[in-house]
Amino acid sequence: MFSLLKLMNKIWFIAFQIGIVLSVLNVVQAEPVDTHTPTLQVHGFVAQGIIDVDGSDFVNDDQSLSAELTEAGINFSYDFSPSIRAAGQAVYLNGGNRYAEGARVDYFLIDWTAYSSEDWKANLYLGRYKNTHWLYSGTRDVAFTRPSIILPQAIYFDGFRDIAVGADGAFLALSRNTDDFGEFDFNISSGSSNISKDQTEIILGEQATGEMETEKDVQASFYWRPFLSSWRFGIVGLDSEFSYKRGDNDIFTSADITLQRFMVNAIFEGEYWEFSGEGFQERFVLDGLYFDGFHRDTKGQGAFVQSRYKVSQQATLLARAEVFYADKDDRDGKELEEITGGMVPHYFGYQHDLTLGAQYDFTDNLRLQMEYHWVKGTARLTPVVNPNVKVNNQERWDMWALQLMYWF
Amino acid sequence: MSPFKLVGFFELIHGCTCCRNNKDINIKHILNGLFIGLLIWSSPANSVDVVVNQSVQLQSLSTKQLRRIYSMRQVRWADGSSIQVYVLPSQHKIHQRFSKDVLRIFPYQLDRMWNKLTFSGLGVGPVEVPDEKTLLKLIAETPGSIGYVEKYSEVDDVQLIKIDE
Repeated sequence: MFSLLKLMNKIWFIAFQIGIVLSVLNVVQAEPVDTHTPTLQVHGFVAQGIIDVDGSDFVNDDQSLSAELTEAGINFSYDFSPSIRAAGQAVYLNGGNRYAEGARVDYFLIDWTAYSSEDWKANLYLGRYKNTHWLYSGTRDVAFTRPSIILPQAIYFDGFRDIAVGADGAFLALSRNTDDFGEFDFNISSGSSNISKDQTEIILGEQATGEMETEKDVQASFYWRPFLSSWRFGIVGLDSEFSYKRGDNDIFTSADITLQRFMVNAIFEGEYWEFSGEGFQERFVLDGLYFDGFHRDTKGQGAFVQSRYKVSQQATLLARAEVFYADKDDRDGKELEEITGGMVPHYFGYQHDLTLGAQYDFTDNLRLQMEYHWVKGTARLTPVVNPNVKVNNQERWDMWALQLMYWF
Repeated sequence: MSPFKLVGFFELIHGCTCCRNNKDINIKHILNGLFIGLLIWSSPANSVDVVVNQSVQLQSLSTKQLRRIYSMRQVRWADGSSIQVYVLPSQHKIHQRFSKDVLRIFPYQLDRMWNKLTFSGLGVGPVEVPDEKTLLKLIAETPGSIGYVEKYSEVDDVQLIKIDE
């Protein structure tokens, strides 16, 4: 409740700033003179499934069949004028150990179409915005927009979901259409966010009593679709800083964390076949946390390639291969095992996943999705910093999931 | 078919006169001609009619423009007024034809673009209506609106738009 009030405060402050900005910058493009009627659009989704993990604590510690696979959300969009729109979405998520269970304000923003013509479009979003820079990040919780129930954890690690999903700040989107070279999109965002107690425990473990905060999150992405092409290519850059303030009787000390990511992706959308892939390298700098003066600077790497085949208008098959290395200079995790004195097994240094799946559309907005994952390694399990080596005592594990989803 | 008739055929579908002038058949033109011929064969002309509200000051739109409008990348007409986009349901045969034959994009690609806008807060998708009758009524009533029907009729209070390649 307190965080919601803080968000409302921020929104009002931002709305006030928008007022000033608009009055100054209205010269950029005069408000079109037309008979605009304010319209309200409401959409939503609900998805419930079952998931069974054998050999890891990905969903629950006792590895039993679980119904902790719930995603529901409702959103609105209201345009006050052709240039100003307000939009928001609330979601409820339950994924067991994957992320904090509960409801949250997913996005809540003012969208200002600063400029729009046949060839150009510029939008400024202020408030709580979604991270829409990656291939699936903008709708990662919206089951029917995903290629699979569980997204590739190398990139869309659920343990970092609340940190990566968006921020409070500003997002600028520029799109350009040309007849010769195709469509270009450039997006840049900057913001910060509070990290909940539950999310802090997901990252650090239950012994962490301090407070974690996103100090800075700057991201930029550039996408290009050649003229009338089925291909689309993208590059993404991310620079974020987090702080941890030690709590009472805390096993950790205060810390500064820097995370820098560079990503590339490509997608081909044909009539029957679809191919896509996304890869990244991530620099992770940790100062403190274990003891004052501790310093670690590592680079992780991950990627997936995916293919989908439309058997019919209703049925689609999926095959995906994914790799992740927590430290590219320690691909087999041996060094990790050594520096922890054998406490953390080497297979916590990587996680590779082979996925096969299928989906069937009963109607335009009712779908059943199912999949099987064969996984090697445990680097993308929670808690992240203080791993659960008791439950995760084997290198190979697998899971299957089934989810029914409805949207409107 | 005699070579002369072949030249005539390629000239017709390729739109050039150089083959006749040179009295010989350039292989590039043959291939181009076959390609265009295939396109004509595979995409029935005028399979769907694009219609707009009477307030829209346009007689024609290109495929490129239509694609921009339906992918929500262009949200205003040239005079600055707002574009209101109407669509039929994704599985509707007229929507499927409009998407593939006119926009040259698969219906599922359009769905993805609209869903991304709608569920990430970046924008709004078009307004979906259940049938052609409702669509025509809304286009007649809504300034700046655009949609498509199987066959335009003059009795409808809407304006037909010519599609330029």
